Amino acid sequence: MKTKHLFLKKKIIATIVASVLGVASQGAFASGETITTVVKISGIPWFDRMETGVDLYAEKHPEINISQVGPSAADSAQQLQIIQNLIARGTDALAIVPMDPSILEGVLKRAMDRGVIVVTHEADNQVNTMANIEAFDNAEYGTALNERLAQCMGGEGKWSTFVGSLGSRTHMQWVGAGEENAAKYSGMELVDANNESFDDANGTYETAKEILRKHPDIKGFQTSAGNDVLGVGRAIEEAGLKGKVCLVGTGLPNPSAAYLDSGAITAIGFWDPQKAGMAMNEVARIFLDGGELTDGMSLGVEGYENVSVRPGPGGGKLVVGNGMVIVDKDTYKARLF
Amino acid sequence: MKRDSNLLLLCILFVVLLGLGGVVSDGLFLSSFNLQSMATQVPEIGLLAIGVMLVMCTGNGGIDLSGIANANLSGVASGIFALSFFDAYQQPLLFTATFAVGCMAVGLFGGLLNGLIISRFSITPILCTLGTQMLFTGVAVVLSNGRSVTIGTPDYLSAIGNGFVLGVPISFLLFVLTGLILGFFLKFTRYGVRLMLMGANPKAALYSGFQSARIITTTYAISGLLAGFAGLIIAARNINVKWDYGSSYLLVAILIVVMAGVRPEGGYGRVVNVVLSAIVLQLLSSLLSFIGLSNFVRDLAWGVLLLCFLAVARFDLLNMIVASLPLKRTLTLPSDHQMRVFMENKNNED
Repeated sequence: MKTKHLFLKKKIIATIVASVLGVASQGAFASGETITTVVKISGIPWFDRMETGVDLYAEKHPEINISQVGPSAADSAQQLQIIQNLIARGTDALAIVPMDPSILEGVLKRAMDRGVIVVTHEADNQVNTMANIEAFDNAEYGTALNERLAQCMGGEGKWSTFVGSLGSRTHMQWVGAGEENAAKYSGMELVDANNESFDDANGTYETAKEILRKHPDIKGFQTSAGNDVLGVGRAIEEAGLKGKVCLVGTGLPNPSAAYLDSGAITAIGFWDPQKAGMAMNEVARIFLDGGELTDGMSLGVEGYENVSVRPGPGGGKLVVGNGMVIVDKDTYKARLF
Repeated sequence: MKRDSNLLLLCILFVVLLGLGGVVSDGLFLSSFNLQSMATQVPEIGLLAIGVMLVMCTGNGGIDLSGIANANLSGVASGIFALSFFDAYQQPLLFTATFAVGCMAVGLFGGLLNGLIISRFSITPILCTLGTQMLFTGVAVVLSNGRSVTIGTPDYLSAIGNGFVLGVPISFLLFVLTGLILGFFLKFTRYGVRLMLMGANPKAALYSGFQSARIITTTYAISGLLAGFAGLIIAARNINVKWDYGSSYLLVAILIVVMAGVRPEGGYGRVVNVVLSAIVLQLLSSLLSFIGLSNFVRDLAWGVLLLCFLAVARFDLLNMIVASLPLKRTLTLPSDHQMRVFMENKNNED
């Protein structure tokens, strides 16, 4: 009787262990190579959209274990810990959107020393990476935004610019390139340039109202941070200047939809995180297969068909695509996220 | 002596989590690389948690919200100072020594400031340290112009962050050593004993002629010193220091302390529990990360764990469970209190 019990007990334990192991090997520890995308924060629309790209890429490459993770709070220390755990777990390749590139330098160097493939995005100053992927050239993006603005303004009139903060390098590059482009049109006059918005829609709304009062004849705005179009758009709408004042800036389709429909926002520019996520994973896969990046190659992702490959700040490469998207009232619905 | 149920629970969790990790990951979780990786992640948060524990023991709502801000300020200020005097790669020893002493000095100063404000002006600790947290962060932003300060990887400093002795990370050894020293200090010195007594009953401490102000100031200064030490380890590990690093550490440190069974009202706390609690929390988050679960699940698991520990502490669950076990019940003598109740009942009956 007693031996039978013991036997039964052993059998139960064996079953439990086997099922736990089964679950584990099915999921996280399957054979085959792994590419893990690490984003700044999980659960916000931007990175949810990126995850759709990572999932799409995973469907196309069932032989690789592809997934996306990210910290639950916007803290570079948490992202650092996630990366450290992934390295210890034996991940073959990391595709990272750094919260703060400088904080990750140490851990990324140790990862590469261990033979882990490291690919980054939105971190063109990252030293310890094998390739950093940028959706577009910042100067070209600024020029394109301004060209759209000039087109709406008919090439003449007063215009102003907003940046997230004067310390934001990319924003300054965008408006800088915009100013250069506007110089082509002798009728365009830049007034009160580089207002700081701190990405705060309410603050931007107040500032925009002041500018509209100060320059009643203003014809256009070019904005940079994601919430700027919302603040300026509201100010334009409330002043009854829809369609009379042009507004072109960086923004996301879903939040901007109402203002685009009403005409308060002329056009928004952005890059699609879905495509960026796919491009990162493709570059990681190329490295895993022992391939190399060459100038002008195609990553097989929309906007990354003819990438420019340049030397990066460290030993790695800087990969620049042509993934900018500028949409208006008629075209934004195809890109809604 | 009463059983320390938190210590027991932490030990059980430690073993269970390690075992579970080993099973679900085919032993990968127990590989030396992962053990080392986890051990290097513990010290910075662990040191901050010990600081929070100490100030909590002072009672009267003692808490230190400025820990991580102080640590970042230490790294930033000391980094800028040391870099302006020495070339990190030409004179690595001098640079590391200056930087380390600088971190400790800034941390200590920050802690002293907290202690003096709280003890001299009787400001509520939560308000005072919230204020100094913003002050420290602000000073770090101004000093560094909001950018990260590159410390680099000079020989000795990088050994503190990434080196090993007999396969154990140096930073982890330093953390355990700090814990041992402080544990000894709390148990065997007059300061330690008085700190706990004062926390348990501030009024009695006042009438017994304790110099409460000095004890409070010393405790916050030690907490600051530990934050400075954490700043040193952060810099040694990450190459760069920045003012906004570890903004989520504040609540995690408090979580560790509560799990360690430190009395929020003051007067009781053990360093060994805090060290173990920090390790258990690390094991748990690494394990969930290994299984491939989202970070939100980790937050949820931490919450559940916290509630469990509170329940254990509140209802003394462990002793109840042990007492209700049918087997292996050892003969326990009734406590004084039980004897007294028994005698009273008996007398009443008579």
